[in-house]
Amino acid sequence: MTPISSPCNATLLQRSLNDQLSEQQEEQLAAHLSDCDACRQQLEALASDAASWNHVGKVLRDETSGEHAVAPHSGSTLIPQLPISGADADGEFNDGSRLKPSDFIVDFLQPSQNKESLGRLGNIEIRQFIGQGAHGIVLKGFQDELNRLVAVKVMAPHLASVVAARKRFAREARATAAIVHPNVMPILHVDSSGQLPYLVMPYVDCESLQDRLDREGSLPILDVLRISLQVARGLAAAHAQGLVHRDVKPANILLEPGVERVMLTDFGLARAVDDATLTRSGLIAGTPHYMSPEQARGDAVDTRSDMFSLGSVLYAMSTGRPPFRAESTYGILRRVTDDQPRPMRELNPEVPTWFDAVVMKLLTKSAADRFESVEQIAQILEECVAHVQQPDVFRLPQIVRELRPQKGVLRFRRAWLLRASVVIGVVAAVLIVIKWPEPPPNKSINSDSETTKITEPLNPENTIPWDDGTDQDLEQLGTEVESLFEETK
Amino acid sequence: MSPLETRQSLIVRLKSEQNELAWRDFVCAYEGFLNQLVRRQGVPERHVPDITQQILLTIARSIGGWKDDGNAASFRRWLSTVSRNVVIRFMSRERKQAGGIGGSDLVAQLQNVEDKPDEQHVRRYQHELIVWAAEQVRHEFLETSWRAFWATVIEERSVDDVALELDVSPGSIYMSRSRIMARIKKKVAEVENDQCPNPNDQ
Repeated sequence: MTPISSPCNATLLQRSLNDQLSEQQEEQLAAHLSDCDACRQQLEALASDAASWNHVGKVLRDETSGEHAVAPHSGSTLIPQLPISGADADGEFNDGSRLKPSDFIVDFLQPSQNKESLGRLGNIEIRQFIGQGAHGIVLKGFQDELNRLVAVKVMAPHLASVVAARKRFAREARATAAIVHPNVMPILHVDSSGQLPYLVMPYVDCESLQDRLDREGSLPILDVLRISLQVARGLAAAHAQGLVHRDVKPANILLEPGVERVMLTDFGLARAVDDATLTRSGLIAGTPHYMSPEQARGDAVDTRSDMFSLGSVLYAMSTGRPPFRAESTYGILRRVTDDQPRPMRELNPEVPTWFDAVVMKLLTKSAADRFESVEQIAQILEECVAHVQQPDVFRLPQIVRELRPQKGVLRFRRAWLLRASVVIGVVAAVLIVIKWPEPPPNKSINSDSETTKITEPLNPENTIPWDDGTDQDLEQLGTEVESLFEETK
Repeated sequence: MSPLETRQSLIVRLKSEQNELAWRDFVCAYEGFLNQLVRRQGVPERHVPDITQQILLTIARSIGGWKDDGNAASFRRWLSTVSRNVVIRFMSRERKQAGGIGGSDLVAQLQNVEDKPDEQHVRRYQHELIVWAAEQVRHEFLETSWRAFWATVIEERSVDDVALELDVSPGSIYMSRSRIMARIKKKVAEVENDQCPNPNDQ
């Protein structure tokens, strides 16, 4: 990024308009604009000519004051929801398709005899309005003949006339039916014959990972690992069927309370890996925070794209915010393709260095430099869970031990390690000479060394807590000392 | 074949491949706008896709009147004008006889697009276009940014007051609202095929 040389800089203004500034440059420019009237005027002139500013302002004023008689149900989504309260810290994108539950019930449900029921949809008594997403409405229902509670996902009415959206719905049903896995939300039934297509799923009392993150911010490392392990397993099952999910994000990850079961859902964007059709749909569904760079560019994607999104989810769980943020969707897309995320430890010092390294490998821009497969990630995560639970019994998987966190840090650490290993190697050699001139055969150095050997090469008392990365350094140091010995033999 | 593919292929008789691509792009950009416009004219939801298709069909048929000069840009400009005229005709017709939803009737009525629409109708068309573009663009921005844009540009309140209320810096409001304005303009241009975009746009 080019530094700001002069405070008044036309290139910078144009780049801010195109969402091409780093977060830091943006802050600097905002501060400058607060004081500099000339730059403000220049920026506004770059955005649009004065006539257009006035025209757009007038049109939108007329629109909301009812100057133009439009159909009563046009329900403008332009006016911000009042009252204006403080800025939402992490910000939300309004998805623009809000529908009143009462309108939906009146317009689309059949009346029911049952008093508990809001209405009927096919053979389902609808009992409750659960929620609403960008593509549809989720309802809680009861199927009499099967005597079970179900969740019904109904396509949003404004999309029902859009061919692409209907296709998306059909694809979701087809894709999900192909994957039977405990970490994938199953689909029981599909109906696309009616005015509004809908999917029937088992009713599970759960919340989305997004809800949990909104409520709690970042999560403890063990929770992060457990959740991501299950997401990775579900995702691996989809990949085994030749499907790419393409929309892995916290809102599509459901957490069952108590049972600690995690389910991946919403295969609406899923594609067969070898499906060449419609790869470039310019359609951005909801937030692009978790998209991979190849998706953001509109390139063909494969399973490695899901790996990147998984990395973004891990990042969000560890720090409470997605790795790439900006004011506009375009800005986010640009950051996804061009910027390096901030190291997680800057945002949450509790994140272990080795975990930062794992996530950064997932977030590599070049798909080829990520892991081999999500299957492999699941295995790694499984070993990481064991390590975090019992650091003195289970070592981190080798592949994680070999990852180094940040490039700058890497060079420094290597150099330090080499120097230290030489010193320690010499010291150790001297010690060995002094202490054990003749190693006693068949005799332990101390009484509990046998039990120690069985479980772990490291003495538990000397074990450094897992979260400061020192044990990795020590392990590597050990290897380097060993190889030094090999060479000097 | 899906209805979208049908609509897009209506035009394969075009002589130039470039024009064919221009038509496809146009349908992609225009269909969303048409759907909303038709809905806002008070057409019941279940008829919206049909009416939209009728209008696109009319536009497609009018292409017979196009004299191909091999220039995709002039085709695209011409297409925008024809579409605007067809849509304006549709809007004034809907006003006169609310409720009467026609199939091939509608096509016949919309067919004659030679007349120059009057000033008022053009204004109304532009109104619809800007409202649509603003609605599309809104969801690309953070809610706070949109509030800042709305309060200062539409409600014409002072930037400093709004900054205080939203707890953001005045500078960030100038940035947000300029970005939003630039996006709305660009969105409108996608449909209008404005041939003189801001030279600073990449």
